[in-house]
Amino acid sequence: MSLLSDIRDYPWTSLLAGILPARLTALLPAHFQVTGAQIVPPTSIVGNALTVVLAIMTFLACLTAGGVYMVNQSANAWVDDIASEVTIELDPVNTADIEKKITLVSLFIAKQRGITRVKPLTAEDSAKLLEPWLGDTVSISALPIPRLIAVEIDRSNPPDIERIKAALTQNFDGVTLDDHRRWQAEIRTITRSTALGGIAVLGLVAAATIAVIIFATRSAMASNREIIEVLHFVGAKERFISSEFERHFLGLGVRAGLMGAFAAAVAFQLLPLMMYLLGGGAVTAAETRRLLGSGELDIGGYLLCLLMVVVVAGLCMLTSRLGVFRVLKSYA
Amino acid sequence: MIRFDNVGLRYGSGPEILRDVTFHVLPGSFHFLTGASGAGKSSLLRLLFMSLRPSRGLIFVFGENVADLPPPGRTALRRRIGIVFQDFRLLDHLTTWENVALPLRVMGKKESDYAEDVTDLLRWVGLGERIHAYPEILSGGEKQRAAIARAVITRPELLLADEPTGNVDPAIGSRLLRLFVELNRLGTSVILATHDYSLMEQLEAPRLMLDKGQLKVSAT
Repeated sequence: MSLLSDIRDYPWTSLLAGILPARLTALLPAHFQVTGAQIVPPTSIVGNALTVVLAIMTFLACLTAGGVYMVNQSANAWVDDIASEVTIELDPVNTADIEKKITLVSLFIAKQRGITRVKPLTAEDSAKLLEPWLGDTVSISALPIPRLIAVEIDRSNPPDIERIKAALTQNFDGVTLDDHRRWQAEIRTITRSTALGGIAVLGLVAAATIAVIIFATRSAMASNREIIEVLHFVGAKERFISSEFERHFLGLGVRAGLMGAFAAAVAFQLLPLMMYLLGGGAVTAAETRRLLGSGELDIGGYLLCLLMVVVVAGLCMLTSRLGVFRVLKSYA
Repeated sequence: MIRFDNVGLRYGSGPEILRDVTFHVLPGSFHFLTGASGAGKSSLLRLLFMSLRPSRGLIFVFGENVADLPPPGRTALRRRIGIVFQDFRLLDHLTTWENVALPLRVMGKKESDYAEDVTDLLRWVGLGERIHAYPEILSGGEKQRAAIARAVITRPELLLADEPTGNVDPAIGSRLLRLFVELNRLGTSVILATHDYSLMEQLEAPRLMLDKGQLKVSAT
């Protein structure tokens, strides 16, 4: 009951005055405003140092969270791409007219239910796929390279892959269908590993952020101990004292958090350019795009950064509250 | 109004600073609390103000046993007591007026309801020209008068003053004593802690004398 009444009676509306600049607060209805001079000094050297620390930690937390989010999104997109495609392989050995066979298999596949597109790859296309491993100087035509047909499937109305596999084996010699299951499983493993690794890094950054915020806020609180004492001696209730400090530190946390999040957002915007400039050119930029997608955060990523601001500001506010009660407890 | 029964106080596992302290304070009375430096005057004042708990014994403030009171109950009693510190304890980022108005503000009163009272009180203690000044530019005597004004703005029933003349010259000390006497005439009980015998000689009032942790009460 006490906790419920504490929550009910808490001066929630006054918290807004701590977050908004004085000019904007003046435009709010009287209910949201705090009259009189600020009991906790609005600026101090310790407060400025805390702002810088909070901004940096928010920046790092946003970079980590955004990075994990981005890699996770890209990995999910890879799996989606792979899952919507199967590949037919034609064994080149013992096949007199491979081009004719490709055409026949393509026509057969195109007639099946749930197939949206059939794209036979030319010998040059196959050679390009092998180029990263064999280079472009080797005469590909001299090698017994399997020919491929890329088949796109309708994921809302998927074909019966097992039936198609059986039909291909029955009707054509040396033709197999690869539904990428093994590759999908590997990608999923990589995705999960990346996500878990990212979450672990995020956990470490979060733990470091929490520790730094708590210690920095405690230091700032120590310099305000005299104010707590004076308020206590002039008969202020515990809730009044804690709400004064919470408002101050919430405002400080929000401002610092927004600075850090904004810097992180700018960094994400500049990521492709930075990769291009630092990594040696368009190839690295292309590789980065392949790994991280467009290299830019979507709305979900930015919401994640805003969540970091909320967490940092909330943590700062909570630490100040605990700091006030610790000082007041020493008088009891 | 105030009753101490066999009160003892020790910090942690150290020796007892106060031993078997027993006395009572009647409404409208004036007491000096005296003793050598380190005799425990400030600790006794903190017990009176309920910012320390006794190691043993009972303390009744305004008829309430403070040991039985939860924090909100102690805050309610504390609002009936004004306290003046030797080191003033004014908030440097607030003006003299804002410092004096602080007890009313923390009680949740509207500024429009008390603005005139604060200004009148500051004029009464001789700080009418300094209401917008910040503490750092006030003299020692001015700071002490501002601290006294802050302590009495809520018209407390009991005023505790810890060495209020310790940081001012004798002339200002005498002036501050007259201020306390005037407040006492208006109905406020006063306990003034000091080791300045010349100050105590200026007024006939009972003395609570602390010596080696024990309290003796003398008529003058």
